[in-house]
Amino acid sequence: MAQIPNLDNSPLNLKSLSREQSQRDLVKILKDIRGKKCLVIEPKLGGSLSLIIQTSLLKEYGIELRHLSAEPVQTDCTKVVYLVPSQRDLMKFISSHVHNDISKGLQREYYIYFVPRREIQCEKILEEENVHHLMTIGEYPLYVVPLDEDVLSFELDLAYKECQVDGDTGSLWQIAKAIHKLESSFGVIPNLRAKGKASVLVADILNRMQTEEPVSSSDMAVPEINTLILIDREVDMVTPMCSQLTYEGLVDEFLRINNGSVELDSSVMGVQQEGKKMKVPLNSSDKLFKEIRDLNFEVVVQVLRQKATSMKQDYTEMTTTNQTVSELKDFVKKLNSLPEMTRHINLAQHLSKFTSKPSFLAKLDMEHTIVEASSYDICFEYIEEMIQKQEPLINVLRILILFSVTNSGLPKKHFDYLRRELLHSYGFEHMATLNNLEKAGLFKKQESKSNWLTVKRALQLVVEDTDTANPNDIAYVFSGYAPLSIRLVQHAVRSGWRPMEEILKLLPGPHTETKRGSLCEQSII
Amino acid sequence: MANVSVAAEWQLLYNRYYRKPELYPMRWKHMDLSRNKVACAPFGGPIAVIRDDSKIVQLYSESALRKLRIFTSSGALISETVWKHPGGRLIGMSWTEDQTLICIVQDGTVYRYNVHAELIEPNVSLGKECFEQNVVECMFWGNGVVCLTEGGLLFGIPDFKVMSPCQLAETGAEDLPNCMAVIEPKYTVSGNVEVLVGVGDGILIVDEDGVQRVEGEAVQGPVQKMVVSWDGKYLAIFTHDGRILVTDINFKGVLLEYNCESALPPEQLAWCGLDSVLLYWDDTPLLMVGPRGDPVHYFHDEPLVLIPECDGVRILSNTSMESLQRVPDSTVSIFKIGSTSPAALLYDALDHFDRRSAKADENLRLIRSSLPEAVEACIDAAGHEFDVSRQRTLLRAASYGQAFCSNFQRDRIQEMCKTLRVLNAVRDPEIGIPLSINQYKLLTPSVLIARLINAHRHLLALRISEYLGMNQEVVIMHWACSKITASLAIPDATLLEILLDKLRLCRGISYAAVAAHADKNGRRKLAAMLVEHEPRSSKQVPLLLSIGEEDTALMKATESGDTDLVYLVLFHIWQKRPPLEFFGMIQARPLPRDLFISYARCYKHEFLKDFFLSTGQLQEVAYLLWKESWELGKNPMATKGSPLHGPRIKLIEKAQHLFSETKEHTFESKAAEEHAKLLRIQHELEVSTKQAIFVDSSISDTIRTCIVLGNHRAAMKVKTEFKVSEKRWYWLKVFALATIRDWDALEKFSKEKRPPIGYRPFVEACVDADEKGEALKYIPKLADPRERAEAYARIGMAKEAADAASQAKDGELLGRLKLTFAQNAAASSLFDTLRDRLSFQGVS
Repeated sequence: MAQIPNLDNSPLNLKSLSREQSQRDLVKILKDIRGKKCLVIEPKLGGSLSLIIQTSLLKEYGIELRHLSAEPVQTDCTKVVYLVPSQRDLMKFISSHVHNDISKGLQREYYIYFVPRREIQCEKILEEENVHHLMTIGEYPLYVVPLDEDVLSFELDLAYKECQVDGDTGSLWQIAKAIHKLESSFGVIPNLRAKGKASVLVADILNRMQTEEPVSSSDMAVPEINTLILIDREVDMVTPMCSQLTYEGLVDEFLRINNGSVELDSSVMGVQQEGKKMKVPLNSSDKLFKEIRDLNFEVVVQVLRQKATSMKQDYTEMTTTNQTVSELKDFVKKLNSLPEMTRHINLAQHLSKFTSKPSFLAKLDMEHTIVEASSYDICFEYIEEMIQKQEPLINVLRILILFSVTNSGLPKKHFDYLRRELLHSYGFEHMATLNNLEKAGLFKKQESKSNWLTVKRALQLVVEDTDTANPNDIAYVFSGYAPLSIRLVQHAVRSGWRPMEEILKLLPGPHTETKRGSLCEQSII
Repeated sequence: MANVSVAAEWQLLYNRYYRKPELYPMRWKHMDLSRNKVACAPFGGPIAVIRDDSKIVQLYSESALRKLRIFTSSGALISETVWKHPGGRLIGMSWTEDQTLICIVQDGTVYRYNVHAELIEPNVSLGKECFEQNVVECMFWGNGVVCLTEGGLLFGIPDFKVMSPCQLAETGAEDLPNCMAVIEPKYTVSGNVEVLVGVGDGILIVDEDGVQRVEGEAVQGPVQKMVVSWDGKYLAIFTHDGRILVTDINFKGVLLEYNCESALPPEQLAWCGLDSVLLYWDDTPLLMVGPRGDPVHYFHDEPLVLIPECDGVRILSNTSMESLQRVPDSTVSIFKIGSTSPAALLYDALDHFDRRSAKADENLRLIRSSLPEAVEACIDAAGHEFDVSRQRTLLRAASYGQAFCSNFQRDRIQEMCKTLRVLNAVRDPEIGIPLSINQYKLLTPSVLIARLINAHRHLLALRISEYLGMNQEVVIMHWACSKITASLAIPDATLLEILLDKLRLCRGISYAAVAAHADKNGRRKLAAMLVEHEPRSSKQVPLLLSIGEEDTALMKATESGDTDLVYLVLFHIWQKRPPLEFFGMIQARPLPRDLFISYARCYKHEFLKDFFLSTGQLQEVAYLLWKESWELGKNPMATKGSPLHGPRIKLIEKAQHLFSETKEHTFESKAAEEHAKLLRIQHELEVSTKQAIFVDSSISDTIRTCIVLGNHRAAMKVKTEFKVSEKRWYWLKVFALATIRDWDALEKFSKEKRPPIGYRPFVEACVDADEKGEALKYIPKLADPRERAEAYARIGMAKEAADAASQAKDGELLGRLKLTFAQNAAASSLFDTLRDRLSFQGVS
């Protein structure tokens, strides 16, 4: 099964308007550089590209494929094509490659294609490194990647850090540009609701782009997208800090999903090959996965068991009684889904090894205690102990951030104490980590009273008695906690911001609500 | 009858009619073409005239200095300039496709003029050989030229847009050629220009790569003159024995042969469309030769200039401009004497109708079935007419006929009216562009508009583009730029208003481009005012920089939200201004400042320190120093050998000092102090243990390593030195002892004193190490029954776990334990009974 998701069932025509366009753009770039060439891709970008085009297809254009690293490129090709995101640190790699070639007397032609656009800050470094004049520079405007039939990704994994810590809002421009590009395919989105500083800025830039380079709305009768909701991550830092409990969520927590697939030991899948890794694609093309991905893991186990049992029953019936041809056909059809079933049963079994650990359950318990804000001291002691036991830093920080965010920071005494314990346990180099977390407001000194309790109550974030098997509220995904951002989206879709302004004011950043599109445009003329 | 008078002016050449209407009486005075070199642009373009310096002429009351004068086709002066160029005689002069006048002088220098007689810099030279050998002849085509030198070499400029000269292959002939003709690159197989050279007894084809002799029945003996048809398919040749031949360009077959009875070659030889060839001697009538039949003679009493067009020839004399063209079929069918074609009858019907004669109806009845084609013919004939009243009559005939047609394309008449309106507008003697409809279609409306704006006929161009529904941006943009150039005396504010008034007409027009033009003309202030109106920041910001408005540029870039633009401005200012000034500009602006810091953090460390120092952010400098010390540690050169620890510690101490400068950073200051201390202790430990495993590990790790190595004293020392809490100490020591599986030492440690966090660490360490026996030593000592229950459960002792849980009276815990023991059916039922009992208790 392919890693590239099947987009036939997508509500928008993502296949031809987004993915195939990106394919064509890339192929054109590669075709325009004649002859054999070595394509050097930044690894993360390579991952994103694997959702756009099959690498085997690239080979047809006379391409040797390499991943970008500090090491010089080993190839016989005289043409080297770099396909990289516009990141400063990568420029040093590239210039060191060129210098290395020059020192060896190798004469090569260099091309850099920046994704999604060329940026002066990168070219400046190439200039300073004295290699800019050797480069042919272009851009590959890949602003969005369809991860699945209903998910598009901007592939900006550093955006939050850049915005919150460095104050570099370049990614916001890119987001606006990406949406603007979507609008040129699907029409100007008439309703725009934004919450948070960055979202409002994106909305501003987007409206600016619309006045600078208007999307002609005349050739599109009805815009295909009705509402655009932008919410800052900053508004809801609670949800990503909680452990995910859906099937897909757990796979990601323990095995990490990258670019719509998970990589694991083949032994997990029942293939006996020592130490061999295998990639399992996870997207809606897998019918069974589509059915169970968003279910609470507890339920998934039941569903899988049920399916397995019925399958077994069918099989016994098949072997014991006489069947008509059409019944046989049905059975064979069912058999086709067997590989999918085995795959997910294996995965689920593997996951249950992690979920049954007492430490995992204790952690879930603690997360709930923090979200409910019921006992400050127990939480504090739990975190203190985690640090003293030197548990993996990332786990510690996640729960620490959850704690700090729900309390809008910790009292100075506790703040300094935990910081000192962290530095003692994990090393002083984490001073920079702590500094960044503080700048981003994720782990900080308490300066005002927390309004988490009010928010929690007003948005009904904690729901008792959720029926995980037949859920009627989104709270089932975290077994009782309804993600704040989802609640905001529910309100935004249902009634817009107006009825809930009081609550929005409790959350960080401003909010806006605008009507856009042809109507406004006419009034300007 | 009107019909007769129309056809009476026609000449018959075999079976084709030709007409030669006068387009304009020339507006110029006292012009004698024979004294001048004349260059006329095709498509009704301008005429350049300059006194011919190869002829001896008598000067009247005029300056000895020559003047280059440019006229419209109607003879109205557009511009003039004094010709003062060195370099010898003017050899060739011609108009390019985009109406630039190319003048080539003897030494091979190429001068270029626009229609306003303004020299376009730079002048280009055809090369050293031309300079030394002198140019003797030039052959132009629409977009290039080939020149012949006295030495018989050929040079060319294949593309006037690029203006790079090249040399063609040498012919090797001893004599200079008799004549030459050029096949334009777009008509050759190779895509390069080819020159036909009539030399000696034959013709050579010369291009950049080689020479080829032509074979064919048309080439027998020397050739005196040649000309290629405008579509590049045929060649007209005047032979040494006075014959005119027309052959296919590949010299296959002779399509026309006529003996002119004059061995003297004609002064001008020109194609009239594709059907006939014109030969001009100044002392005999103009001769028009067609493939068959007797030639036609046109008498003239003035010198003429033949201007070949795609569909005919324009004939310029001192007093008039005429157009010689084949009469279109539709016109013939209407106006031919005695014509009874449907179109002629329709035309006649209109006449009757106008005179209220019943014959009109009779006529219509006669042609009822072929009415559509009659209407079509009238419309077509109207298109080819220069005379406005005749256009109108023909269109009225068409319209009259159309009323009786049920299935005729209704918009044909409307379309033709539109086209004719445009044509009549530009044909006006004031404008002087006598385009025929065929020429107009070939030229395209957009090129026509470009020519009009080049001639500064902006209003007409704007009206036409508006009328034809075309984008007016080009026109307005050109107008605005020309207006700026021409309005040096108008103050900025007034000019701005004038410009804005017109620029507003066109949405999406680039104000930045107009502003750039203003700046180029030295009107920086006007440029600044204009660029203010540009909505596209990506265009606005670079321009603001180039006119020195750095502050505004920075502001606009920031407003746009496009960080790339902000960087553009940042780097610009950074390069131009001294550091302190630069710092001052960005300090109060968050986005530019943060972007600068972010870039400098990656690439300009030292400069960033200067920035932080200048803004008094000492803690940021401290962080940078601290980071440097880590980088020293990461450097592989520094991992071994202690000497480098010295500088690392010094950097950290410097950082600590800077942190201590401000009250808010006591924590950081303390941490830096501890870090320095730790490095020193670790260094000492490495020396005493002779193992390089301490540096850069954390305090907790250092303690663990000491215990693992059995160096309890050192561990204790680190503990006291850094005031490690008892809680942490217990966790570390228990885990360290478990790592080396020293269970005895662990038990001893548990008995040292009552552990401050109870026995949980001991249980966890043993369970994690899978030592059930050891774990059992500590589990009973756990104070909390819940913890006990969980601990038992973890080592698989269901019964004990259940007991402890029931002691804790915790139903949820029981449920969870049950889940843990789910595989074990016996254990599971045990929990069920317990839970039932528990819930029962809850009720009671």
